[in-house]
Amino acid sequence: MNQNDTIIEVKDLKINIKIDEGTLTAVRGVNFEIKKGETLGLVGESGCGKSLTSKAILGINDKKCKAEGEIIFDADDLGKVNLLALNPRGKEIRSVRGKQISMIFQEPMVAFSPMYTIGNQINEATLLHITKDKKKAKEISLEVMRKVGIANAEKRYDQYPHEFSGGMLQRALIAMALVCNPKLLIADEPTTALDVTIQAQILELMKELQKDFGMSILFITHDLGTVAKMCDRVAVMYLGKIVESAPAVEIYKNPQHPYTQGLIGSVHKIGTKTQERLFSIEGTVPLALNLPAGCGFYDRCHKRIEGVCNVYAPELVEVGGEHKIACFACTGCKGGECK
Amino acid sequence: MSKGDQILDVRNIHMRFSSKGITVKAVTDVSFPVHEGETIGIVGESGCGKTTLGRCIVRAYEPSEGSVMYTTSEGELIDFLKIDKQTMKKVRKEIQMIFQDPYSSLDPRMTVFDIIKEPIVANYPKMPKAEIEQKVMDIAAKVGLNTSYLKRYPHAFSGGQRQRIGIARALVLNPRIIVCDEAVSALDVSIQAQVINLLHDLQKEFGLTYLFISHDLSVVEYISDKVGVMYLGKMVEFAPTKNLFEHPMHPYTESLLSAVPIADPTVQNERIPLEGEIPNPANPPSGCFFHTRCRYCTEKCKNAVPEYVEMEPEHYVACHRAQELKLRGFKYDE
Repeated sequence: MNQNDTIIEVKDLKINIKIDEGTLTAVRGVNFEIKKGETLGLVGESGCGKSLTSKAILGINDKKCKAEGEIIFDADDLGKVNLLALNPRGKEIRSVRGKQISMIFQEPMVAFSPMYTIGNQINEATLLHITKDKKKAKEISLEVMRKVGIANAEKRYDQYPHEFSGGMLQRALIAMALVCNPKLLIADEPTTALDVTIQAQILELMKELQKDFGMSILFITHDLGTVAKMCDRVAVMYLGKIVESAPAVEIYKNPQHPYTQGLIGSVHKIGTKTQERLFSIEGTVPLALNLPAGCGFYDRCHKRIEGVCNVYAPELVEVGGEHKIACFACTGCKGGECK
Repeated sequence: MSKGDQILDVRNIHMRFSSKGITVKAVTDVSFPVHEGETIGIVGESGCGKTTLGRCIVRAYEPSEGSVMYTTSEGELIDFLKIDKQTMKKVRKEIQMIFQDPYSSLDPRMTVFDIIKEPIVANYPKMPKAEIEQKVMDIAAKVGLNTSYLKRYPHAFSGGQRQRIGIARALVLNPRIIVCDEAVSALDVSIQAQVINLLHDLQKEFGLTYLFISHDLSVVEYISDKVGVMYLGKMVEFAPTKNLFEHPMHPYTESLLSAVPIADPTVQNERIPLEGEIPNPANPPSGCFFHTRCRYCTEKCKNAVPEYVEMEPEHYVACHRAQELKLRGFKYDE
C-alpha cells in the first residue's frame, strides 16, 4: 500500500488524566491510520476514550490530559508532522486546526457561543483561513448553511444559537466544520441528536462532500446503524483500547471480540424475528482508574479464560483480511505472551 | 378487569400554545385507544408533538380540547382530563411518567432514597416509616439498583443507573400506565438493551401498559405492539407494529422508515427523501399537512384535509391516496 495515501496515523496514543483519586488512564495505547478519502468509524460507549482520542488529534484536550505517543498528519504546507509535538497554542497547529482538520462536536448547545450570531460563528473559520472579505465570507457561509439544510439561511444567519432548535444547531455546527473543506473531518457523534430523516440527510451530505473533496472522515459514534451506513473500516474501542478493527462489512458479518458481538447483538434489527430479550452485556464499563493487569473487558466477558485474560493484556493480532482482534479467547493466544 | 381490555381512550386531543398573538397547534385532533398490557409506540421527528401528547395524557399540560377516558383499577370510566382534585389524587398514581433525560430529571440535592420515596410520601402521608423503607428497597432491587448505594446522590450514578432510578420512581406507586418519553434515548447501546429488557420484564410481571415515545424506530419496533406516527401535531398513521413497518400506508411513514440506518453495511436501503423542511406549526399548510413534502401529492391533497380513517382492521391512516398507493416498508423474515 502506498504510504502517501495515509492522511493521519495515530501511534501508541496514551492519554492520562490527573484527578484527585490518582491517574486515570483514559486512552491506553491506540493505533490506527486513516487513508485519503476513507471513513474510519471509531465505535464505543461513553467513557471508552473515543472523544479524547479525537480531541488529541486537534490538541484541544484539557490541560489535565497528558497525551503520549505520536499523531502523524500529512499537512498541506508542513508535510508529515507530529501533531502531538506541536505547541497546542502555536502557529503551526492553528494552520491545521479548523482548516485542514475540523471537527463536529457532540453537543451543539455547548459548542456554540451564545453571545454571537450563528453567521458570525460560521464566518470565523472562513475569515481566518480563506478570505478576508466579509461579504464573500458571508456568501460562503450561506451556501454551506443551505447545503446542510438550514431553511431561510439569510434570516437564520443573523440569529443567535438560542433561536435554533437542537437539530438545527447541529446542522449549523456541521456547516461550520465544512466551511473550509477540510482534509480530515472528525465527526464526534454528529447525528446523535438528530431525527432519522435529517440524520440520513446529513450522512448523505457528508458522503457527498467526501466524494467531492476527497476528504477523510473519522466518524466517532456509538450508533452501529450509522457506522454501517458511513464507514469503510470500523475500530471498536473499549476502555481506552481498540479491541477489534476490520472493514465494515467484515465486522458486521463476522464480529469476533465478545464486546463487539455484544454491541452488535444489543441492537435490534427491524424485520428480524423478535427475540424475547435483547442481548445485553452485563455490568457497566469500569472506571479507568488503577486498572488491574489483563484485558479491560475481563469482568464482563463471557469467554474469559482465567489465568490468561486477567494476567496478560491482549494486543491487536491480525487474523487475516485486515481484521485485527485483541482477545486471547478469539485468537487462541496467537502472538500473545500468554504461552 | 381482564387483560386486554381498553384502559385508555385518547379522544380528539388538541393542544395549542399561544404567545405574542401567535398560536401554535402542537397537537391537533389525536385519538387512539390503548388496551391494558400493551405497548404503544409514538414516533415522529422532533417538534411533531409527541412529547406534548405524552404530557397531555398524564395531564402535565392541560390540553385545549379533548378527553382521555381512563378505566380506573376499580372499573370506573372517567375522563382523566376533567376530574376534580379529589379524584385526581386517587387516580394520579395510576398513570406515571419516565422522563427523557436521566441527568436533569433527578434532583441533585436529594438522595436516591429520597427521590424514590417522594411519591409514596406525597400519596400516602400516613404510611409508617418502616413500610416506606421496605417499599423503596423492594423497588430499587427490582429495577437492579444496588440497595446499599441508595443514600448516595444522583451524581454518583451512571446514565443507565440514573434511568433505573427514574424507572423506580415511576414504579413505586404501582402504576398501571407508564408514559416513557424517550426513556432510553440518552443511554449507550449495551445499557439501552439492559433497560429495554428491564421494561419488558416489569411489563410482564405487573401487566403494565406503556406509552413509549421515541424517535428511535428500531427500539420502537422492538418494544411496541402498536405504533402511531405523528407529523406536525397530527397522528397520520396508527397500526399494529408489524403492519406498519411492513405495509406503511402513509407516505410520511414510508420515508421515515426508509431513513432508518440498518446495522448491516451490505444492506443499503434506498432512502426516499423528504423535500424541504418541516413547515412552521404556527402556520401549517392547507389541506393535508404533509402535502408540501409528499411525492404523491395531488390537487386534492392541497385543498382537502384527509380524514383519519380505519383503512384496514386496526390500521388507521390519514391520507387521500392510502387505498391506491403501494408503499414500501421493511421486509420481515419468515
